[in-house]
Amino acid sequence: MKKLAGVMASAAILAGSLVTGAYAQETIKIGVTQPLTGAFAASGNYVAQGARIAEDEINRAGGVMGKKIQLIVEDNKSNPTEAVSTVEKLIQRDRVPLLIGAWSSTLTLAVMPKLEEYKVPMIVETSSSGKITTSGNPYVFRISPTSAMEAVAFQPLVKKMNIKKADFLYTNNDFGIGSGQEFAKMLKENGVQIGISETMDPKATDFSAQLAKIKASGGDSLFVTTAVEQLTIILKQAKEQQLKVRIVSCGGSNSPDQLINQAGEAANGSFHTVFFPPWFPEVVKNPEPAKRYMDEWTKRGHNVGGLTEGFRGYDAVYVAAEAIKKAGKAESEAIRNALWDVKVKGIYGDIAFTKQGPAGKESGQHMPGVYLVTISNGKVAKTSF
Amino acid sequence: MSRFLPWLLVVLLASVPFWMTDYYVLHIMITTCIFIIAAMSLNLLLGYTGQLSLGHVAFFGIGAYTSALLSLGFQVNVFNVPFGVTPKPVWFAMLMAVIVAGFTGWAIGKLAFRVRGAYFVIVSISFAEVVRMVAVNWVELTQGPMALNNIPALTLGTGEFELSFLRKPSFYSLALAVAVISYIIIARIVNSRAGRAMNALRENESLAMSVGIDVTRYLVIATIVSAAMAGMAGALYTHYIRIVDPDVFLFIYTVTMVIMVITGGKGTLAGPIVGGVIFGFVPEALRAMAIKPEIQWIIYGVLMILIVYFLPRGIVPAIERFWAGQKPGDDEAARSVPGALQK
Amino acid sequence: MDQLLQHLLNATILGGTYALLGIGLTLIFGIMRVVNFTHGELYAFGAYCMYALVMPLGLNFFMALVVAMALGALLGATIELLLLSRLRGADIDTTMLVMIGAWIALQNAEQLAWTGVALSINNPFPSEPLIVGPLSVSWNRVYVFFVALLLILGTYYLINRTHLGKAMRATFQDRDTAALMGIRIDRIHTATFALGSALAAAAGALLGPVFVVAPTMGDLAAAKAFAIVILGGLGNIKGATLGGFILAFVEELGAGYISSGYRDAMGFLLIILILLFRPTGLFAQKERVG
Repeated sequence: MKKLAGVMASAAILAGSLVTGAYAQETIKIGVTQPLTGAFAASGNYVAQGARIAEDEINRAGGVMGKKIQLIVEDNKSNPTEAVSTVEKLIQRDRVPLLIGAWSSTLTLAVMPKLEEYKVPMIVETSSSGKITTSGNPYVFRISPTSAMEAVAFQPLVKKMNIKKADFLYTNNDFGIGSGQEFAKMLKENGVQIGISETMDPKATDFSAQLAKIKASGGDSLFVTTAVEQLTIILKQAKEQQLKVRIVSCGGSNSPDQLINQAGEAANGSFHTVFFPPWFPEVVKNPEPAKRYMDEWTKRGHNVGGLTEGFRGYDAVYVAAEAIKKAGKAESEAIRNALWDVKVKGIYGDIAFTKQGPAGKESGQHMPGVYLVTISNGKVAKTSF
Repeated sequence: MSRFLPWLLVVLLASVPFWMTDYYVLHIMITTCIFIIAAMSLNLLLGYTGQLSLGHVAFFGIGAYTSALLSLGFQVNVFNVPFGVTPKPVWFAMLMAVIVAGFTGWAIGKLAFRVRGAYFVIVSISFAEVVRMVAVNWVELTQGPMALNNIPALTLGTGEFELSFLRKPSFYSLALAVAVISYIIIARIVNSRAGRAMNALRENESLAMSVGIDVTRYLVIATIVSAAMAGMAGALYTHYIRIVDPDVFLFIYTVTMVIMVITGGKGTLAGPIVGGVIFGFVPEALRAMAIKPEIQWIIYGVLMILIVYFLPRGIVPAIERFWAGQKPGDDEAARSVPGALQK
Repeated sequence: MDQLLQHLLNATILGGTYALLGIGLTLIFGIMRVVNFTHGELYAFGAYCMYALVMPLGLNFFMALVVAMALGALLGATIELLLLSRLRGADIDTTMLVMIGAWIALQNAEQLAWTGVALSINNPFPSEPLIVGPLSVSWNRVYVFFVALLLILGTYYLINRTHLGKAMRATFQDRDTAALMGIRIDRIHTATFALGSALAAAAGALLGPVFVVAPTMGDLAAAKAFAIVILGGLGNIKGATLGGFILAFVEELGAGYISSGYRDAMGFLLIILILLFRPTGLFAQKERVG
């Protein structure tokens, strides 16, 4: 039995080195953990696709310090414990000096203790929960906006949209709860009455009961925070149940194109906060990389609905490459120090990190732009206020 | 010779942390060891009493959550009455995990053994699902899908004599020790009067009853021991991975344990260990060969079917038969025809 | 009041599909003594067939349902002939392990073929819902409800009025005697499994366009089917029909007035309560324990 275990273990190591070993000398590895299967599979795959585009672009332009970069993408199965295993594997087996991940706030929060344990920095490309950058983990560098930043960006619209009473529906994870709390706080400060807050399991598919309750509550606006899969069903079921309220989706993982495609007419009249509007790329701060990314995305035949998600991975890889270049070597501590000086003209804007969290253990946070779009007549439009 | 072989094996396994420098291999060995403990506990029910309990992961998860919650401390309101627990030492939390899981086993045993066969199987699955739903939805206690994070590692003693189980080599030794103790406990039970009673009721429950064996009593005893042991495995797991989320209750983990037990050989002491080693290392080997997880699971599913068809008693009995030089045609071989299995 | 009425309407419509799921499972158990763990996968299979037929292939929405059911029956018959026919007479645990193996393999094959991304099926119904006073319901759901009722009645007719149904009932009551009377037990088993599978596939094909289609959709469906079948008593078709509606009402009202988070737990809680007080299910005629 012992022998068996030994043979199998060495077989595993051998097989592993056959796969990864061939490039080990000439490449700089960057670990990516994303939900490629499970509840957030669609979004996780888009981010990975965007990251691959940036990887190829950088390598075509000569790589970093004369070496090619190599992304090692692991599937965290939309599950926090699996996310920890992937990070364990990326750090222990593949010896990556830098990570990108882990899409949802819950997944990111789960892997954060491992970053401190192994002293490896991570670029957070999507997660929005405030806790990530305020809990004092000096290995976290976030390029996506927090829920609080999103709520503040939304503030001027409260009066313009004439919101009087708001209800909430969000997933019971860090992403949903964090967003719900921040928006409720902001709306209350602006004199809006808060109705009911309903939660849902990230895997649920039937919301008829929640929607009936929300209808009875009688607000004029419903703030929904979840990923595009559940949002699609919510829009459809809200229409079925004649829920005639203004639906605003928060969190930026709402992929309006996919909503139009999958929810059809039910998507009309809904509002969505996005962090990159591919329908009018001219409004973003750096239209040039945005256009390059969009062209390549189309060329590769990726789903158009994924454009609002894929750029996160694209930007994260550029930030990673820039940090390695600035550090001058592929070592975690040097890269972590270099991340503070990184300046990248990305789709998220001019990416640079400011300090957040308790003194001495600050995390890095970038301040990207937030855009509100609406769907009317099956098309995405700029909001007219 | 055969008396010393197991001990030689234990000594060999215990020496691993001294020469194994690849922490990733050590990581796989630790998780495999924890799963073997869980599979051994399932074997007591599945192999020795013949009850197909498909909710076994519930005990594992209850152990994991109990230990995590007690070592982190918590504050909840039950019907507006605040109830809180301050963080407890990890060894105490782990002990409580064993007790709570064992107690749950007693309660579930009392309830579920009112029914047998298909009803029992479905009840056991339902039980695990209800526990999972509670873990998902009682956010105040369990943090729901956000997972319990930053669970402390086990440390014993203080100051200069502090023994920490944070690092992989020390944790490996701990897991191995627990596995050896679990093995000895099961071996003692199986070879006792209670073990013979369990055997009798597996073979023929009505007959066992008619000769005066209190069937339900022995079933409940087996469930308590089994649940407590699974709870211990869960507690080990939680202080090793240091995060626990409701997916720990997923049916697929029960299935993994069941596959380990039936592949190795249900109702044999070594069965879960052999099955556990195979199914602990195979996924990693497949992952290293860049085989997609879906294909890995398809292989699991097909393997499970093939084993039930061609090796219904598992690998260990097959090897024993080979060793003993038995020819097909005796009662052992006759049992290996699926159709001949009881009834 | 409006809210309550809306909940009751939602529950009634949901109950129809739940009943359909339950009948398929209970039929297979009653006649074959097999706990069919692939039931949820056949449900997902039906939904994927519907997607493939309607979206890329452009088949008529209503025809697609018929084809999906036929394919479901075919897959069911294949599973029966390939896996179960060799296990006739084996104990229930053995068949259960085989079915669990098949379930894992099927679900991951679906995941491999379609990836994890949820798919959406267009329906030909008007997008404006049907409005009756304060209540509203989509035309698609109304369609689903009536087709489910039709299929349930069809199954009753098949079992109570046809030759095949008679042979099934005979097998159900006493397999050995039925065999002695010249009934081909093998064929009855294949037919039963195919029928149960077709009903599961129908439920998936009906609900696919209402929700979204994803590889793990079968798990929840299977869990609910188990709850329904336990409610009604294993092997009891009338029980499964009523059980489907009971579960739908408990879930919808529980989610509406107690906690929406525990919606999917209601069924399992119900199982545990039932087994505490009536271990044979709500509508059992005879003792089934042991």
